[in-house]
Amino acid sequence: MGTESEIPGAGLQPVFHPTDEDIEKWMSRAFEMAQDALQNGEVPVGCLLVHGGQVVGQGRNQVNQTRNATRHAEMVALDQLLEWCRHGNVDPHSVCLRTVLYVTVEPCVMCAAALRLLNIPVVVYGCGNERFGGCGSVLDVSSAQLPHTGTAFKCVAGYRAQEAVEMLKAFYKQENPNAPKPKTRKD
Amino acid sequence: MEPQPKRRKESMENDDADSWVALPVLSDQQSRDTELVPAFAAPITDKKETSRLIKELHSLYPLAGLPHIKRVRPRGGGDGGGGPHSLEVLVCLVSDAPDVDPRGDSFAIGSLLPSGGGGVRPDGLGPPFLVKVPACPPLTRPQFQVASKHWPTAFHEDKRVTVALRGELFSRPQKARMQGYMEAALEAARAGGGGGGGGGAGAAMVDPKAERIVAVGHDCRGENPLHHAVMVCIDLVARGQGGGAYRFDKYPACTSASPPAGSSSSDPKPAPKTSQTAAESAEEGQPYICTGYDLYVTREPCVMCAMALVHSRIGRVFYGAAAPDGALGTKYKIHTQRDLNHRFEVFKGVLGQQCRDLNGCEDKPVTEH
Ligand SMILES: [Zn+2]
Ligand SMILES: [Zn+2]
Repeated sequence: MGTESEIPGAGLQPVFHPTDEDIEKWMSRAFEMAQDALQNGEVPVGCLLVHGGQVVGQGRNQVNQTRNATRHAEMVALDQLLEWCRHGNVDPHSVCLRTVLYVTVEPCVMCAAALRLLNIPVVVYGCGNERFGGCGSVLDVSSAQLPHTGTAFKCVAGYRAQEAVEMLKAFYKQENPNAPKPKTRKD
Repeated sequence: MEPQPKRRKESMENDDADSWVALPVLSDQQSRDTELVPAFAAPITDKKETSRLIKELHSLYPLAGLPHIKRVRPRGGGDGGGGPHSLEVLVCLVSDAPDVDPRGDSFAIGSLLPSGGGGVRPDGLGPPFLVKVPACPPLTRPQFQVASKHWPTAFHEDKRVTVALRGELFSRPQKARMQGYMEAALEAARAGGGGGGGGGAGAAMVDPKAERIVAVGHDCRGENPLHHAVMVCIDLVARGQGGGAYRFDKYPACTSASPPAGSSSSDPKPAPKTSQTAAESAEEGQPYICTGYDLYVTREPCVMCAMALVHSRIGRVFYGAAAPDGALGTKYKIHTQRDLNHRFEVFKGVLGQQCRDLNGCEDKPVTEH
C-alpha cells in the first residue's frame, strides 16, 4: 500500500523507478539493518543506496560516535556512495541519477535536502517521521521548488510502515524506561 | 590631549560598524502584513448611554477571536466631526450580519440587530458605517502601528523585538565583536576560494560567553558536494570535542580549537535563553555540541545546513547575505518552525555588503549576463 508523490517538472526526465521486487528485496535488507541496530541499542533506522543492483552505500546513525548531530544514517550512506565513486573512478553525478535510497523511516529535513543536492531521484521509505520528516511530515523538501538545491525526488512511502513504527517505539521504550517524554513547547 | 592614533582607530572601527545593521529574521506571524476584516461601527450620540450600549452589544456580538480589538474609539478617524468627547462603538463584524447591504436605502442600526433588538436598545446610537479592524493581535510595533490606524488595538509589546527591528539590539562593542567574527568567516570563505561550488561561503562558530571562536570553516564542495561551510564547521566543532567524522587537515583555513578547561564554569554571565541544559542533552543520549554557540556565516544557510543547525541545537545564527534557496528567512524559516523541537534566533545583515560582494553575481537578480 505505497503512496507516491510526483516530482514537479519530472516529465522531462527519463522515468526511473524500482520494481516491486526491488522494493521488497532491498527494504527487507533495510529492515534487517534496523532490527540489528535496535538489538545493539542504536536508533533502529536502516538505509541502503542501491545502484544497478549493487549496494553502493549503507549506513547507521553515528551521532554518538562522532559527537556530530548531523551523522544520520542517510548522510553516512551518501558519504559511502561518494567514496565508492572515488574508488571506482566513476562520476558521482551519473551514479546518483540512477540510485535509489531504501530507508525504514522518512528522511529528515536535512537528509532530504542532502538527497536533493546529490540528485538522488527516488526514495523508498517505511513510516513517516513526525518530528523531523522532510518528505511531507514537517516540510516537503522532496518536492519543493528549490532550484538551487539539487533536484526534487520521488517518494514511495508506506512499505511495512507499521513494523518500522513498532521498532522506533521499542527503541524509545528501552531508551527511556519511564515512558517517552514529549518535549514541551516554549512559546 | 589624547594621543591621536588610538582615537582615530577607534572611530574607524565605529564607522565600519555603522555600515551594517543586524536585523532579526522573525516568524511569518511576526512579519506578515496586518490582515483586516470589515466591520460595522456606529457613533454614540448620547454619551450617557455608552456603558449600557457596550454591555448590550458585547453580549449580542461578543467579537470572539478578536480580544485585541477595543470596543470603542474616539470619534472620527481624523475628520474631527462630533467634538472631542464623542465616541464610536464597534457593533459587529460584517460576517456577523451576512444579509445586510450597507448601501441599501433602508440600511440603519436596526438592520444590524435581530428583530426585537436582541437585547440591544439602540437609543443613543447613530447611523452605522463600515470600518476595517485588524484580524490578528499585532506581534510587533510595525504591525501595531498599521493596526492602530484602522481601529484601536491592544498590543503586548515584546520590547526586545521592537529594539531588534530598529536594528538597535546590539551595542557598539557587541557589534565590533560580531564584525570580527564575520570577518573570520569572510576570510575563511576567501581562503576556500569558491570551494568548487561557486561563490563559496565561510562560517565561524563562536562561544559567545567566552567570546572566542570555536571553529572556522569554508565550503569544501569540490571533494564532497555536501561539505557546505556550515556542515564543515559543525564537524570541526565535533572534532574539537574529541569526535568528528572528517579530516579537513588539507584545508588550512578550516580549523577548530578545543575548549579551554573550566572556561564555562568560571563564566559569571547567564547562559543565553536559547541554550538547553546539559541534563536535557544527556536525557536523549545525543551530543548537542552547538548548544549555546553562535554561528556567523557569510551566506544564508540552505535547507540541509539550517536543519543541521537544528539537530546541533545552535544558539543563534548571524548571516551576511540572503540566498535564493535560503532556509533561515528566504524560502523557509526553519528556526521558527513550530513542529520542530528546537528554535533559535536568526539575524541577517552582519557585514552584508562584504558578504554580498563575496557571493559575486550569484545572488543578484538575473539581469546581467
Ligand atoms: Zn536525517
Ligand atoms: Zn548548505
